[in-house]
Amino acid sequence: MVREVSESCVESLLAEIVLSYCSGFYANKPELAARRIEAIGFQVGHQLSERYTMDRPRFTDNLEAIKFICKDFWSELFKKQIDNLKTNHRGTFVLQDNRFRWLAHMSIDPSVQASGNIQDPSAMAENKSAQATGMHLYFPCGIIRGALSNLGIECAVSADISNLPACSFVIRIKA
Amino acid sequence: MIVCVAVVGHQNNPLYIQSFTKADDSLKLHHIVHCSLDVVDERVNNPKKSGLIINETFLGLLNPTENYKVYGYLTNTKVKFILVTTDLEVRDADARVFFGRFHTAYVNAVSNPFHIPGKKITSRKFAERVSTIVKSFGLSSSS
Repeated sequence: MVREVSESCVESLLAEIVLSYCSGFYANKPELAARRIEAIGFQVGHQLSERYTMDRPRFTDNLEAIKFICKDFWSELFKKQIDNLKTNHRGTFVLQDNRFRWLAHMSIDPSVQASGNIQDPSAMAENKSAQATGMHLYFPCGIIRGALSNLGIECAVSADISNLPACSFVIRIKA
Repeated sequence: MIVCVAVVGHQNNPLYIQSFTKADDSLKLHHIVHCSLDVVDERVNNPKKSGLIINETFLGLLNPTENYKVYGYLTNTKVKFILVTTDLEVRDADARVFFGRFHTAYVNAVSNPFHIPGKKITSRKFAERVSTIVKSFGLSSSS
């Protein structure tokens, strides 16, 4: 029995998680808020990977597991696959999604971006908006980390949003 | 007749072990399950010697000891399902079907937000579902 939830409900819930952790529970400690959100994502990724690897044969190596994340796992979560996968063959993978679904409906104040880094106050404002958007990426990073850890791969995941709505996730596998 | 099913985590920690006999030999069954873990590890680490395809989830008959047969199943997340049965002729297909249903029940139990990964599964619903699956296994193989 497959139960469905509306997508706008999920997006609103995620936005509210970030908001309540950043301005509510850990109001002046963004690192703690980030770690808590990432831990929630870790548990979710752990359980989701259990469900989505059910009917598949076992993975032979790390690359197979990462490809699973890029294709099947991402399609189950975001209805599309990762657009670009890069690796340095030494344990670092970059997953690029050209239109990250959970950030697609977020806008950053365009006046801040247009002014660039000329004056200090506007640069600070641009940093703040980048930081605020960055907070929303801890949850998906946690999901990826949880899924990979359930497959036996310990790693660190970070996100890069230099050009929205494209989003890159950098996975560093601990040797 | 199935006497015991067990779920073992990836560090060989028991997550769920349930025996279905009226006799009080649960210790012996635990011992059998424990020994079969070694066989699972051996099968996974030496694929060439045993001639198996390395990415199969169903591991098949692990070792026939005394009057028991032990079947193994390894998921992608390194969780092992062990099935101990006293049936003399168990068809491969039956065991596969059993493990398929068992895997579904396990995934549903683990998706419980109150379940802590790595700790024992304490869900009553999971226990009920497992007994249903065990009963239906007995029926299909006897027909």
